[in-house]
Amino acid sequence: MILKGIGYGCEGKIVETNQRHSPVSFLSTPDQTEMRNGWKVVLKYKDEGTGPFLIDLSHRKRLDVQDSNLSKFQPGGVTIPEVPGQCAFQNGLLINRMNRTQAAVWHLLGDSPDMTQETAYTEVTEGSIFLALLGSESEVFSIMEKVTSQDLRQTANEPPFLIQGPIFHVPCQIVVFDEKEKGSAILFTCSRGYGISMAPELLEAGAEYGLRPAGEKAFSAWIKSLIDYSPQRRGDR
Amino acid sequence: MNRLSQLPTLRINPAEKISFSCNGKIYQGIGGDTIATALYANGVRIFSRSMKYHRPRGLYSLDGESSNTFMHIDGIPNVCAEKTALKEGLAVKAQNIKGSPENDLLSFMDKLHWAMPAGFYYRSMHKPAIIWPFAMKQVRKMAGLGKISPSFIMHGKYDEIYPQTDVCIIGGGPAGMSAALAAAKHGLRVILIEARPWLGGGYDYRASEYDSGMPLHQRARDLAKKTEETPNIRVFTSAAMVGAYNNNLITAFQVGSENDHYNERYIEVRAKSVVVATGCIERPLLFENNERPGVMQIGCAHRLARTYGLLPGTKAVFSIGHDLGIETAIDIHDLGLKILCVADIREDGQNPKLVAALKERSIPFLRGWLAIKAHGRKILKKVTLSTNQGTHHREYNCDILVASAGMTPITGPLIMAKAELTYDNHTGFFLPTKLPAKMHAAGRLLGLNHPLTIDASGRHAGLLAAADCAADVQGELKQAHEILDQLPGPERGARFVIPPVKNQKCFICFDEDTTIKNIDQALQMGFDVPELIKRFTAAGTGPGQWGIPGHNLPLYVAQCHGDVDVSPKPTMLRSPLVPTFIATYAGANHDMYKRTPVHDSQKKAGGIMQRIGIWRRARYFSEDFSCRDEILNVRKNVGMFDASTLGKFRIWGPDALKALQRVYVGDMSRIPPGKVKYSAMCNDDGCLADDGVVVKRGEDDYYFTTSTSRAENTVEWFRYHTRYDGWDFHMVNLTDAFGVINLAGPNARKVLEKTADTDLSNEAFPFVGYREFTLSETIPVRAMRLGFVGELSYELHVPSSYMRVLWDLLNKSGEEWGIRNFGMEAQNVLRMEKGHIIIGSESEQRTTLHDVGLGFLWYRKKPEAKTVGSFALKDTEQQKGRLKLVGFKMDDSSRTPEDGSIIVDSEIRGFVCTARHSFTLGESIGLALVESHLAKEGTQLEIFEASAGDKRLNATVVPTPFYDPEGNRLRM
Repeated sequence: MILKGIGYGCEGKIVETNQRHSPVSFLSTPDQTEMRNGWKVVLKYKDEGTGPFLIDLSHRKRLDVQDSNLSKFQPGGVTIPEVPGQCAFQNGLLINRMNRTQAAVWHLLGDSPDMTQETAYTEVTEGSIFLALLGSESEVFSIMEKVTSQDLRQTANEPPFLIQGPIFHVPCQIVVFDEKEKGSAILFTCSRGYGISMAPELLEAGAEYGLRPAGEKAFSAWIKSLIDYSPQRRGDR
Repeated sequence: MNRLSQLPTLRINPAEKISFSCNGKIYQGIGGDTIATALYANGVRIFSRSMKYHRPRGLYSLDGESSNTFMHIDGIPNVCAEKTALKEGLAVKAQNIKGSPENDLLSFMDKLHWAMPAGFYYRSMHKPAIIWPFAMKQVRKMAGLGKISPSFIMHGKYDEIYPQTDVCIIGGGPAGMSAALAAAKHGLRVILIEARPWLGGGYDYRASEYDSGMPLHQRARDLAKKTEETPNIRVFTSAAMVGAYNNNLITAFQVGSENDHYNERYIEVRAKSVVVATGCIERPLLFENNERPGVMQIGCAHRLARTYGLLPGTKAVFSIGHDLGIETAIDIHDLGLKILCVADIREDGQNPKLVAALKERSIPFLRGWLAIKAHGRKILKKVTLSTNQGTHHREYNCDILVASAGMTPITGPLIMAKAELTYDNHTGFFLPTKLPAKMHAAGRLLGLNHPLTIDASGRHAGLLAAADCAADVQGELKQAHEILDQLPGPERGARFVIPPVKNQKCFICFDEDTTIKNIDQALQMGFDVPELIKRFTAAGTGPGQWGIPGHNLPLYVAQCHGDVDVSPKPTMLRSPLVPTFIATYAGANHDMYKRTPVHDSQKKAGGIMQRIGIWRRARYFSEDFSCRDEILNVRKNVGMFDASTLGKFRIWGPDALKALQRVYVGDMSRIPPGKVKYSAMCNDDGCLADDGVVVKRGEDDYYFTTSTSRAENTVEWFRYHTRYDGWDFHMVNLTDAFGVINLAGPNARKVLEKTADTDLSNEAFPFVGYREFTLSETIPVRAMRLGFVGELSYELHVPSSYMRVLWDLLNKSGEEWGIRNFGMEAQNVLRMEKGHIIIGSESEQRTTLHDVGLGFLWYRKKPEAKTVGSFALKDTEQQKGRLKLVGFKMDDSSRTPEDGSIIVDSEIRGFVCTARHSFTLGESIGLALVESHLAKEGTQLEIFEASAGDKRLNATVVPTPFYDPEGNRLRM
């Protein structure tokens, strides 16, 4: 007999076999949760405080797109930035140009559209953790300078921009949103295996600034408040 | 001691009383005190004893330029009391003493100076050699190095930050602040590092006029306020710069206050441009007993009075070589200290206004005079002055001798940054003649003394730094340059004078108790340059480094040569310029490692996790480290192994196959549909680099695995070996995206059938087959039938987020067939029984594909692919003298050699790669790399193992695999 949909865990409890686990876990108590595509997404934690926040977005779909001619792709209708290090944020999609032939597509608001049918795309959601550090400009950058030697406040690039470099010596893709009045955010991904080390170490580094885990709602509210970015529109701002 | 009050320069808060203990006595200090100033206020004059001669030492610089005030504070030795803020309840002890600081039983060492000439440590007690270990211990026991309890635990929080900036300014004095303001005005990010707890530098405590009646200390405060209020200037006070490296990497450490979240934190600044505005310290005056408690530098006496409200004594003599000394004598006199006399090394060149001011106060002023001896057994009682030529002497009874030969620039950051410094006869300074790119110097360290010039020089340097950051400053820079040119330039410095007496205890370096006589001894022995003399005599190798001897040593050596062509050369300085705790460098110690998706599940099941490379993995699942039950269960029932750490990659694109052909030794064009292909990668030398399996999932679309340790390098490896070809292929590292469970054992199929929605029969899914299906209709899986452990087994690749559920599910499904987890050690034995190698265990850097018996993997008929290592593989195929991998059985089946044991006859002939007792076979077996003449079946091997002493272990070469040589169990 094939066990379908449900099964028995090693402790004899029935387990949902479609249940997926985030590589990141916080000690805080969830206040509101939601099951989404097998992920138990925490929308809000108890005692989240007023920020800065560390938010687990690992369930958000992430794609890698590679081709020798990236200009022919428009993930979700968004043009991939031409220059490595540039990012475009439109339609809830963040697109980070990594190098000559590669870009990363991060779904910040929803998981559609699905583009994985095209050969150039590889879904990499499972391969990394995805965290957002959200807070005031000074909080966010003060915390980050404790954990990375990357210049996240560089003035040469207009946010959002991508830096590929280490956090705690772990290779990461780091995207900087610096919105001054609306607050700043650092979004980053790194290998999934580091998830269980990365989150507590970040919380410890940010303890002096009051960094606490927060649910997805805090991030969604913030990201929705931003106007769309794209290389084409930058000139208008 | 009563404190001076109402001075605008004070940095103390008399209302805040702070209790602490020193050498068992309770004392009281006040807010703003350092430990040293609080002790001084309580009448303590001897703080500790010196390292070699156990001479009494007291306050000298107040800036930690020597180890004079190194004390044992709250269990930590060698803490600089001059720079450590006083806190309630601190327990302070003098160090390097036996008895008390005043009555040290080891003070007799001072009389034995004749037995400790320069370099005695290198020259005596070495013959016969047997003496040295004993002598060394005694020398170290007597030497004052501070003692720390082995059980001492360093409490506190030690942090780190890595700020990036446009301009980094070292030194928060007037020049540094002016530079910061000038650069910040152009919107640049500026970091300013200041060692003292406040900005102001040399202006902070001085009352003389800056300009238009404004005192210097007021100017300092105005500048500090403006600097601190400028949003794009980030000020780090109590932050000592410790290193300067290429590309303007500046390191420092900052001491936290009680309100900070750290005790100390390491700071690593990356700057586009650097301004060094570190100012000057004082050049110590050389004379007999020049370090006797009561002898102090100008700045020390002045800051004691003006910053801490403490008059340093009751009667003072000044022996100085700079106008700053006269200024201080006047100021302290006006604050209430009796000044008996001011002796100035200089015969002329003094500021006439200052000389007149001395006269007004009836303070005797002696031109061309200096101190030649400090008297007093433990603390200063009297001083002898002499003319520079030694023709006349005078004696004064006093308790304070303010002694300073002149100023010397703090060039540590410049020296570390490899700036060229040249001795300048006018200023008597080592001045930078060539600075590294994007580094500038400003202020007093350039010999400038006029306040307006110092400020202008800072502004000029700040603009130069701004220009380095591409700011448009050309007009402003030109103007700043013109202003600087119109202001007074560098002032003439005091010349170097050796006291006209024969000195026994005239110290050139306080930390190491190095005297002028020691330098003479080194010179007599042929050490002719300061850098060598420094090492031979240890002068300048103590914690103060350059502070005390840095200037005097090269000047003295140059003078001793008596050759005008020998110009003084500064000695090298190294990080840390200012000593601090190792804990500060260790920082927060973030232990970053990877866990597999089923880490917690394995731990819960009794897994003993170990750090292996970047991962933590389950090595055992019981306290039986032979893993007998884990192994036998795989052989008899079914086991489950977490192989998630394997490297996993997607490669695709029109030229993906070409890339595979390039790096794999096999023919990758022949991967049958639904099958896996095992192959290996070699480096250019034909040596084994990696192995794994490749699957073709679509047209020009492959999925392949690598060993765990190679996963991080694989994409680079492909890119590197195809870098000139312009091939169109792409790769994605999926190592963390997929977890892997290896389900192995005769019952593996039965377990998997319970959850799989596909036909798993041997016919439908045979050995080396590849299938994609779902488990429990939900979990997508990429399954491979492989046999690394020598049994029917399935390697299940599933998205990582499903791994925990699948792990539980398989455990439950396999209960009736006795499923249990097995760890890395069990896997190691199982695969060895099967004769399968692990790269790195059965190979080393020189091991080729042929050496380990995998030559059959090499497909020779693809020359167009230029397979990496193919030329070397051809050359080494028949090469003699290579180590070959063999299997062996121990003659004594109960005795297993250790991994790495060497195989010997009269020489070393190879080594054991892996050896274990095989519970399956009831024998001790292993794999070894041996010289080819020993590789023949039946050859007797002798194994040397350290624990077996002279007795050698015997083994016989046997064919592999040891277990299931026909491979029936893989295909069942």
